[in-house]
Amino acid sequence: MDEQALHDGIDRLCAGSGSTAVGVHVFDFETERTFSHLGDRWFHAASTMKVAVLVALFHASNTRRVGLEDRLHVRNRFRSIADRSIFRVQRDRDADAAVHRRVGRSMKLIELAEPMITRSSNLATNLLLEFLTPDFVQSTLHVAKVDGVRVVRGVEDNVAFERGMNNTTTAAGLVGLFRLLRDDDLFPEPVRRQMLDILFAQEFNSMIPSLLPDSAQVAHKTGEISTCTHDAGLVLLPGRRPYAVAILTEHPPGLDDPQKTVAKVSRMVYEFITA
Amino acid sequence: MKVVDGLTLSAGHRGLLRPGEFLEVAPHELHRLPRFFYEIESWQHAKETQLTPHFTLSELITVDCREADLLLHGFPHYVPCAVTVLARYLEDFRERVDAPVCVAVNGGYRSPAHRLTEKPSPHIWATAANIYRIGDTWLDSQKAIERYARIAESLGPDIYVRPYGPAPGETDDHLHVDLGYLLCTPRGYSEAQ
Repeated sequence: MDEQALHDGIDRLCAGSGSTAVGVHVFDFETERTFSHLGDRWFHAASTMKVAVLVALFHASNTRRVGLEDRLHVRNRFRSIADRSIFRVQRDRDADAAVHRRVGRSMKLIELAEPMITRSSNLATNLLLEFLTPDFVQSTLHVAKVDGVRVVRGVEDNVAFERGMNNTTTAAGLVGLFRLLRDDDLFPEPVRRQMLDILFAQEFNSMIPSLLPDSAQVAHKTGEISTCTHDAGLVLLPGRRPYAVAILTEHPPGLDDPQKTVAKVSRMVYEFITA
Repeated sequence: MKVVDGLTLSAGHRGLLRPGEFLEVAPHELHRLPRFFYEIESWQHAKETQLTPHFTLSELITVDCREADLLLHGFPHYVPCAVTVLARYLEDFRERVDAPVCVAVNGGYRSPAHRLTEKPSPHIWATAANIYRIGDTWLDSQKAIERYARIAESLGPDIYVRPYGPAPGETDDHLHVDLGYLLCTPRGYSEAQ
């Protein structure tokens, strides 16, 4: 599959699936080739922003601002960035219940980082983001020279959502984040390995990995809200260097099985990379 | 437990604990910070120190990483002597509710240097407790908070319970009880500077 065929294939899938936009960005560490299809288009980041929080946490640890073993009080009470009103993460809407069971007690920062990624814990995310602050996350991205990811608030801040104050990302921005896990610009190898191990333990695997060969290993993070379905990660294949890919889709609410579109794009990217 | 006069501590500890200094807790309301502390040699020491039948010292001094580094990671720890009075009230409260009373992390003593101490509260005096759960009941609703608030208030006029609500000075996800700005001077220690 050549580059034009990949563009055409994504367009066909987008039209056929009912999606209103599909953004794809790829960087292949083997050939140093880049592919971009609406790679600079901005989308609501949904839970893909949790990768930025993970990177900021490890940057804070790597620069000795915090220790990953430091403990943080688990409290389910946050303030909206829109009007300072109080909101809570709904336990029954959170994919992870384990952190909710720790309310009133404390957890290590690393113990919060793991469910934030592997089970997309919203409570863990908000706790880490409140502790680190969105400004620190953004300054980390600036230091890392990652454009295309904007983190301004925690998850389930519905007042901010209604006012259009959202975390946003481009496919190219997310690929830039995942490139940090291979390049040695910001983190030494053991730190990158630790972050990758968390991302490899991802439990939601119905998108990027689902149509890839069993031999593929994927360190990734999904993100879904009613109108967006995303996945981004690093794909490791035997006998070659990995590639970083981000697939972002926007669609009407209630679209049937939007994850399938992301999975099919992932398969096309795989065929393009290995052609 | 060994008692120490905070004025004799290292400069680092004095800078963080500010023993005997006046602190403005509200406009025109000044209180002296605690001066006399129990010295805690190790975390094991805190866990083994049973202040009352159901409360160990460790439960009333657990803080998170927003505590000042020296006070979080270094031993000995220093805890205002009033912590024993708080424990006695909590024991009475536990007896009234007849269920385990879980004091939260950061919910007992925290120092003036703790990052949650932007607005001073009796937590700095070791005379306040934030309770998140009693038995199997999470105190995160108006009904649960007000039910246990009434029981806490029945312990005596010296108990203050923050009202339910989201505003500053109110609570909506735990029960806050405190004894005000109580200072304890153990027998044999002089309050002269």
